[in-house]
Amino acid sequence: MKSKVVSLKEAIQEIQNGDCIFFGGIVEDRRPIAAVCEMIRQQKKNLVLLGTCSIPGDLLAGGQCLGAYRGCYTSNGAFGISPNIKRLSESGKIVIDDIGHLDLSLGLLAAMAGAPFIATKTCLGTDVLNPEYDNLSKARAIARDARTLPDKKYQLMEDPFYDMGLVQLYPAIQCDVCVCHVQQVGEEGTVRIDGSLTFDHYAVHAAKKVIVTAEQVVPEEYLRRDPNRNQIPCTSVDMIVEVPWGGHPGQVYNFYDMDIPFLKEYAQGCVTEEGFNQWADKWIFDAKDHEGYLERLGATRLEKLRSIPPYGYKPRRQGGI
Amino acid sequence: MQKYFFDKHKSNKENKLVSLKEAISTINDGDVLFLGSFVDTRRPMAAAYEIVRQAKKGLILLAECSLAEDILVGNGCAIAWRGCYTGMATFGLSPATLRKIEKREFFPDEIGHIDIILGSMAAMVGSPFVATSATLGSDVVNEEYSRNEYLKNAAGNPEMIPHQKFVLMEDPFYGKGTIKLQPAMPADVAIIHVQQAGEKGTARIFGSLGFDHYFVHGARRVILTAEQVLPEEYLRRDPNRNQIPCTAVDMVVEVPWGGHPSQVQNFYDIDIPFIKEYVSSAKTEDGFASWIEEWVINLDCRDKYLDKLGAGRIQGLRTLPPYGYRQRFR
Amino acid sequence: MADKYAKIGDYTAAEAMVINAARFLKNFDCQKGLIGTGLPLVATQLAKLLYSPNMIIFVETGQADAKPEELPISIMDSRLTYGSSWQMGDPEGLFPLSRGEIDFGFIGGAQIDKYGNVNSTFIGGDYNKPAKRLAGTAGAVDIGVFAKTTVTLMAHQKRRVVEKVDYLTTPGWMVKKWPSGEMVRREEMGMQGGPNAFISTLGIMKYDEDSRIMYVDKIFPGVTPDDIKNSTGFDIDVSRASENEQLLLEEIKILREKIDPLNVYGMR
Repeated sequence: MKSKVVSLKEAIQEIQNGDCIFFGGIVEDRRPIAAVCEMIRQQKKNLVLLGTCSIPGDLLAGGQCLGAYRGCYTSNGAFGISPNIKRLSESGKIVIDDIGHLDLSLGLLAAMAGAPFIATKTCLGTDVLNPEYDNLSKARAIARDARTLPDKKYQLMEDPFYDMGLVQLYPAIQCDVCVCHVQQVGEEGTVRIDGSLTFDHYAVHAAKKVIVTAEQVVPEEYLRRDPNRNQIPCTSVDMIVEVPWGGHPGQVYNFYDMDIPFLKEYAQGCVTEEGFNQWADKWIFDAKDHEGYLERLGATRLEKLRSIPPYGYKPRRQGGI
Repeated sequence: MQKYFFDKHKSNKENKLVSLKEAISTINDGDVLFLGSFVDTRRPMAAAYEIVRQAKKGLILLAECSLAEDILVGNGCAIAWRGCYTGMATFGLSPATLRKIEKREFFPDEIGHIDIILGSMAAMVGSPFVATSATLGSDVVNEEYSRNEYLKNAAGNPEMIPHQKFVLMEDPFYGKGTIKLQPAMPADVAIIHVQQAGEKGTARIFGSLGFDHYFVHGARRVILTAEQVLPEEYLRRDPNRNQIPCTAVDMVVEVPWGGHPSQVQNFYDIDIPFIKEYVSSAKTEDGFASWIEEWVINLDCRDKYLDKLGAGRIQGLRTLPPYGYRQRFR
Repeated sequence: MADKYAKIGDYTAAEAMVINAARFLKNFDCQKGLIGTGLPLVATQLAKLLYSPNMIIFVETGQADAKPEELPISIMDSRLTYGSSWQMGDPEGLFPLSRGEIDFGFIGGAQIDKYGNVNSTFIGGDYNKPAKRLAGTAGAVDIGVFAKTTVTLMAHQKRRVVEKVDYLTTPGWMVKKWPSGEMVRREEMGMQGGPNAFISTLGIMKYDEDSRIMYVDKIFPGVTPDDIKNSTGFDIDVSRASENEQLLLEEIKILREKIDPLNVYGMR
């Protein structure tokens, strides 16, 4: 059997222009940042991002890899609205199709279960269902394979079973590629996540291709001693890359905490296009690869971020940054 | 207008420990009941015995009709069932269930295994239904065999049962053609036997979760029986290792060996001779009655049950690390 | 004996808002709340310490009964994991809402209208070229649809408290019925719940039972009814307003020393 363990470059080469893509983690927690930087190096184009935007989506937008975004969150959490997305949105240069957080959960759940749609009352009464704001067809026009996206955003009907009244039929959310950053993966692909699973445990089943980047690649047999503690089965994983600190500047529970000064610098620096380009030159292009990125950060800075037990993060009172 | 399946007032108490008797006394005749896990693994057997002792009536069972359910059916506690399996795996078909179905004293309503999963999943997420291609083309979607109306009339709380068993429609999103709308499967009560529970209700399961991690969220009341009740705080040191949150649980009962004769991973293995004896006894009305008399009615507490089994027998079932079961050659 | 009450100038407007919100959460002790990111999280932590120790906290990243030892910087912060009953993901964090188990939702936002509808998506311009793009729906839409009641926390400014929101993200008392978009009472859509209160930097607003329109219920010390009128984008009813109790020095001390000693939230 061919080994699933590949280099970051090889893994990212599998992503095609126009792919519908989903990133694991959320906002600044367990995000596949190293993988995204590599996508920018490889100059991917017209990607359709599903899910939450935040840092990975914002990087792709700034790096001109993003064609459209369908999801529920365009903010970098405590660090303000995602700066590149904000700039591009306000100049009408990016297609955004807003959906709800529960829509996203239910859409991935339906895809995981092989169901074409599921009924819900969420978003009723709001502008998420406003036909004027429905940009799904624009996203479909950008996607390499329009069939990955549903024919329509939603359909309304009366619940025939439990008198719940009007409900929204919400279509499954499927994607071409899902990229997750996790704490541990075995060489066959079994994954152990610590902390929030975010959507990863659903999204890996909703994707045609799954790339896992991990802080550690460990013996598969080690993870199989306690299968109840693993959240992604090897059967759903296609490619594995060991990328220590692959989630920096976000946090990775039990490994490292978020790099707040770095995140602030990004938020401030990337307000303008020139600012982002300078940032990208420094941290993506001149750094050449992830090893170069880490060298630039320096060992001391990284060590300060290391989590400590039993908390899984670096308590601020103990000198976290 | 009803927005949710039921108004769920979960207990927020720090300590939810009660006796088995108290817990089971909250079950009403006519309740829709889910018994945790399936076939012969991690079954809430002690709870089922207590339901028999308290002589509950008219229960509607969900999911599988196997070891634990068969006892309720045989004793006349359950009147109907919606699910996908009336067998006991290696040990043959569920003996009392077959007998009662053939005598028209118990009414099955067949759905698919995936239907149960999707139905409990929909209840978990508060959705009235989910679309699926499962069971299309089979007699599961034969309206003639639907007992939906019977279930709705029999249920103590009819709103637990949908107006229809299913609806067919065209998929408007992905061109999948005709699909089935599978309604949610809420329950009045779910009883789950687990390995470890905290006093507030956080639970840690070893081995298959069955449907339990879905049904606990789609049930109005949730009773946990546990091999061990541990300090809640201990389980909270690794929240990633817990499968049932305290917020889903109403009552916790400590019942060591509460799953015997089924297997409970990391605690004890399946008691094969015991199950075989049950299966052969339960084939007749009289045999079933004397088995119930011997193992349930006459043993009104768990200690008596364990003493009757005997220390030697129990010791022979204990599992060993690292496997979590008892290797047969031992 | 030193006075137990703070004086105007002893605290910032943000601190007044957060402390008053923590007091308001007394109403939700022993209940289940789904807490949004930002200052609601700070107010919740303060309330758990002072006023409602038995509140059960859910957040969207999938912890049940979270009990963080250190103030999370957002609801995605892994500080929420340790000590919680279970740790799953976003879907499991949101499903208690859609099951109808969440007693109250507590959110921030960028714009609120007189019916308690909240906007966190965009302001000005149009959807495809907004003057100001915001964070998006996040869980705010789901909280507005499913929580039994909702509390909103937001700075009180004329451009934020408006007649009609630019984008309806979180449904309040009057919502849009599609495809026409006409405004209808939320019950008409089969939606339970509805907004409970809007807590701002100036006071606490409630909603009239008949008209469903926002009015001023409490005014914070040092604030006049005219201040509120001038900071509101519609003609708000101040006739029912009374003054709220001044902040306690103890509340400020705990907020500054125990909850956010490093001023991570920039409240001062």
